[in-house]
Amino acid sequence: MNCLQAEEHFSAHFEDTLDYQVLRDFEAHLAECEACQSEYAGFQESVKAIRQLPQIEPSHDFMPRLQQRLAEERREIGGVKGVAATTWERLQDIFHRPRWAFSGIVALILIAVGGYLYQEGSLFNQNSQPTVVVTSTPERSQIATPPVELPVHVRRSVEDVNPFSPRGVISTSRQPMQQHYILKQVSYTNASTRGGL
Amino acid sequence: MPDLDDELMERYRAGDEDAFTLLVRRHQQPLVNFIARFINDRDGAEDLAQETFIRIFKASRRYQPGRAHFKTWMYHIASNLCKNELRNRGRRDRYRVDNVVDSSDEGDIEQIDLIERAPADVSFQPEVALERKELHDAIQTAIAELPEQYRVPLILRDLQGLSYDEISETLELRDGTTKSRINRARLMLKDKLKSFISCS
Repeated sequence: MNCLQAEEHFSAHFEDTLDYQVLRDFEAHLAECEACQSEYAGFQESVKAIRQLPQIEPSHDFMPRLQQRLAEERREIGGVKGVAATTWERLQDIFHRPRWAFSGIVALILIAVGGYLYQEGSLFNQNSQPTVVVTSTPERSQIATPPVELPVHVRRSVEDVNPFSPRGVISTSRQPMQQHYILKQVSYTNASTRGGL
Repeated sequence: MPDLDDELMERYRAGDEDAFTLLVRRHQQPLVNFIARFINDRDGAEDLAQETFIRIFKASRRYQPGRAHFKTWMYHIASNLCKNELRNRGRRDRYRVDNVVDSSDEGDIEQIDLIERAPADVSFQPEVALERKELHDAIQTAIAELPEQYRVPLILRDLQGLSYDEISETLELRDGTTKSRINRARLMLKDKLKSFISCS
């Protein structure tokens, strides 16, 4: 065993955990090496000194401060559960309110919706002429084509002749005051040429 | 037979909040000592010890008795917190020793004791006490100067008294690595303390 190898076994020898063979080699080396004897003596002293360091005690308010923080943590955890509980209670509370409150809310909603619908209807009445909207097909042209309102004579000719009838008219709006004729699978250019637009 | 820490954790999980308080009382002193020696700052050590217990409190549902020892789990959490703390502080506070060894409470008590007990006990004579204090400061400084990978196992072994197995479990190291690191740390300390050890 050389000095470096001996040094590796300082801790094990100090703690008395060397096996017999290594212990014999270690002690044989130590017996003949003064440098290692000195190093090992210093090693033992320093380990003993470290072990004699005083223990650092927590301050007196350590526990009260921790208890306070734990209480806050508990409140936070309880708070999350509490929010869920409160939401459920509120929902239940709504359903337990008197019936007249519900009726009032429903009546208000109905009045608002009715008013809106009435306004929409009056707008249709002002503009009751049927319109035709020509759109290009998405397959043939990727450019969005704005709806074109045709003049009345053209609209009639389109209705009478309808050169694209087998496949042209896909959907027709059936609203009473407005008619939309959507010509599909026809490019805007074709529609312009044939329809005279 | 489960150990007391496991039993306390089980009790706490079953709703007994006093069990957690008892658990804290059992471990607060060693934990504060470990952290203070690790980060070299007593006040900071208390904060980190509190944070450790809060983490344990929050993670108590995930603790599996028998899979790991409570003590090694606690030191594992604490050492990770310490590493983060030192990283955050950078090198600024790494070599601060005054707050640990010269803690005001400890110093006051020692001075009063010196006066009262000097005739009876030679170890409380001012020169001896001063010498001892210097040695403690030097050791603390030397520990603080050790690289982290050597410092932690050394503190766990020589100041906290953990077994090699417990240290390996705490630091997730192989037994051989733990042993060699502790031996290396002691050799480094021996070199750092050479002048003090030969004087004392």
